[in-house]
Amino acid sequence: MPRHMPRPTPRTRTRLTRLLTAGAAAGLLVTVAACSAPDSGSGGDGSTLVAYTGQAGDYQINFNPFSPSDIGSKGLIYEPLFFINKTATGDPKPLLGTEYSWNENGTVLSVTLREGVRWSDGEPFTADDVVFTYQMLLDHKGINGTGFDAAVAKVDDTHVTFTWPEPAFTKGPDVITTVIVPEHLWKDIDPENDVVEKPVGTGAYTLADFKGQAYTVKANPTYWGGEPKVKTVRYLALSGNQAGADAIAAGTVDWQTGPIPDMANTHENFPNYDTGSVAQNQMVLGACADAALGCIGPQTDPAVRQALFYAIDRTQLNKLAFQDTAEEISPTMALTSTQKAEISPSVQPQVAPTTAEPSKADQILTADGWAKGADGIYAKDGQKLSLTVEVVTGWTDYITAIQTIAAQAKAAGIEVNAAQSSWNEWTDKRFKGNFQLAIDSLWQGPAPDPYYLYSYFYDSRMTAKVGEKALGNNYARFADPAVDAALDTLSTLSPQDTAGRQAQFDVIQKAVVDQMPYIPLMTGANTSVWNTAKFSGWPVNGEQYAYPAVWSALDAAEILKTLTPKNAS
Amino acid sequence: MNYLLRKLGFYAVACWAALTLNFVIPRLLPGDPVDILLAKLSQRGAVVTPETRAAYATLLGGDTNTPLLSQYWTYLGNIVRGDLGTSISYFPAPVTDVISASMPWTVVLIGLATVIASFLGVLLGAFVGWRPGTWLDSMVPATTLLAAVPYFWLSLVLVYVLSRVLGWFPSQGGYDVVLDPGWNLQFIGSAVYYGFLPALTIVVASVGGWLLGMRNMMVSTLSEDYVLTARAKGLPGRWILRDYAARNAVLPSVAGFAISLAFVVSGSVVTEQVFSYPGIGSRLLAAVTNNDYALMQGVFLFITLAVLGANLVVDLLYTVIDPRTRAR
Repeated sequence: MPRHMPRPTPRTRTRLTRLLTAGAAAGLLVTVAACSAPDSGSGGDGSTLVAYTGQAGDYQINFNPFSPSDIGSKGLIYEPLFFINKTATGDPKPLLGTEYSWNENGTVLSVTLREGVRWSDGEPFTADDVVFTYQMLLDHKGINGTGFDAAVAKVDDTHVTFTWPEPAFTKGPDVITTVIVPEHLWKDIDPENDVVEKPVGTGAYTLADFKGQAYTVKANPTYWGGEPKVKTVRYLALSGNQAGADAIAAGTVDWQTGPIPDMANTHENFPNYDTGSVAQNQMVLGACADAALGCIGPQTDPAVRQALFYAIDRTQLNKLAFQDTAEEISPTMALTSTQKAEISPSVQPQVAPTTAEPSKADQILTADGWAKGADGIYAKDGQKLSLTVEVVTGWTDYITAIQTIAAQAKAAGIEVNAAQSSWNEWTDKRFKGNFQLAIDSLWQGPAPDPYYLYSYFYDSRMTAKVGEKALGNNYARFADPAVDAALDTLSTLSPQDTAGRQAQFDVIQKAVVDQMPYIPLMTGANTSVWNTAKFSGWPVNGEQYAYPAVWSALDAAEILKTLTPKNAS
Repeated sequence: MNYLLRKLGFYAVACWAALTLNFVIPRLLPGDPVDILLAKLSQRGAVVTPETRAAYATLLGGDTNTPLLSQYWTYLGNIVRGDLGTSISYFPAPVTDVISASMPWTVVLIGLATVIASFLGVLLGAFVGWRPGTWLDSMVPATTLLAAVPYFWLSLVLVYVLSRVLGWFPSQGGYDVVLDPGWNLQFIGSAVYYGFLPALTIVVASVGGWLLGMRNMMVSTLSEDYVLTARAKGLPGRWILRDYAARNAVLPSVAGFAISLAFVVSGSVVTEQVFSYPGIGSRLLAAVTNNDYALMQGVFLFITLAVLGANLVVDLLYTVIDPRTRAR
């Protein structure tokens, strides 16, 4: 029996102690066993949905949507102006806003607000609440996590405008997906430090009760969109992924996003459940890429990164490390599912090869001056082609992935070793650049547009010299003036100007593929397991109306509003 | 009196040393709380940009730049005032709130389990020691084996058998979440029902130690002259067992019990992880993984004080319950 834990996806990983990781194999026995445990009362009746978001350890009350420790007020209780579905290309869905438009040069964003909306305490929702919310972000740097920097103004009761000194098309998605809070209650509190124990929002649910082990929200009968059919939703706190997988086996949880063993056969193992997943995270081997910024090691040579890219057998990798849940990846990092149109036609290959191509790797390395030594490993100037990949202890799927890649790379003459460290240490190494390669995944921005990923991970202004902390997420220390310029141009172009934007994407993608600071592995999926016997309307293929992860607050709210209990017994 | 002052002086120094270590050790950990918070957020689907970093650095107060010595003084001053600071992983909740919400669960669960285990162990040990060399002695290897197997493995096996296969007990949680916590029978019943399995694993794993210690003390006590005298006088075996042998043999176990009670506070991180129990163990784990200095210090402070306090009490009580220590 394979000694691996259910796979912690990048999102739901909780770093387990070594002890527990070791115990997980034993835990697997428990998990895959036939289940006949009774309903322990945490699985609800027909109209109660029990969700597990990966909360490890008890909840500490906090329903302040701007706090980093918010436990679940976004989306369900407080709503944004619009909802953007990242899994499809389409217009944002109107919530508190009904329509929005940009002026010609992208400096003014005008939003029309929905009429007749009330807060859950009966007060009317007005443009003043919207202006108050954004002004609050400007006044309190500590909660302005999206870097909102526009001047907000009320035009009349149902219209507001946001004004920037420069074109700001790319800032739009963050602005329209910020949740709105009620002025009449928030004007008297400290928004940075208040935990808002009795949240009042416009959303489809209101807080019913809170306990450390679980909190419950109930349907808001006066919701402007009509009362949702799922009457109560209970969120549980368990000890981590293992406990979540056990809860699915025991039937006490209806929806969780995270790994369970033998995921491909979920429906056979647990007839009441099914899985849904969307692959949106580019799993990569991020390299400390720029020798000019202080990176040391063979991975600073782009040819080495390219060779490793071709040395990987992705079909085998997917099977051994990711339970066949991962999907293809484009070396441009644009998602092949929703961003295919933005992939530059001049880039080769369009999609990473599914099998290893050692001859291609050999050709690249030989042309770059590397030669195979007696031990079958390449060397150049007395330096052996040996790379160390940093990984977090307990991330078993990634550890398996490195072992698989190491075997594949060895066949292509590249030595790869894994170095495990704690989450804290690993984070520190990445931010400070004290690493050769690190396995991790990249993430999407607020809208289905590859611009955001490039601006997070490839902008030289988002990095720092080795030894200093990277300002942003560009831990690869990638720096290319052409890419920076293209990113600047993109932020001034209207989303409708596809030709103009594509020209910039072509520039960026050429650099991304040629330099390859993040070596693409596969696109990772977050898999949700949900109860199809009790509820219908889950966002499955063809009906992908939201990103199906229970911890993705704004998406989860859309899903809960859509679900229908099958028998409200 | 002199003896008492010496003892108290020693404990004061030990307390200061513990507090200092408590301050230093968390700061030797790699990483910075803001980084870890951001990394966590980005893994949970939040979009993390430099603006986010700036925002949270402002929010959490960048006290990483103040010199260590002044941090140390502030820390000592705050402890005296009972202010343990703000937890970062549960920001903006004060550490005292976080600890007080979970401490009772741990104290009750582990405390009761420790009491049951020691009582049971001492009782069984007395009987086994009363008849050394008989078949009863086989209890010693049997229980020490249970104490020696990895604890999480034992608990997972019990979960598998008792809750997954037989379905007698819930496998996770501290109470039925449908109920409201409070002093009513229904809730207490639920808490006992949920706590039974974790308590059982602790009892099964730790009863062996108590049993072995008690048995060996019994054997050596039974070879004393006064026991022989009692037998010669023809006292019934029950009396000798209870009043002559067990009473004297239990003394080291009493000391051991007080010390193990102190460790109740630190709970059992593993138990609480396996059973998703709402105690202090999971908080401690969260604090360590998030570089939450304030929370770590708070939890360790409680553990330190409990251990020192228990030791002090045992030190002082032992002179009372065991006359032999006064004979010097």
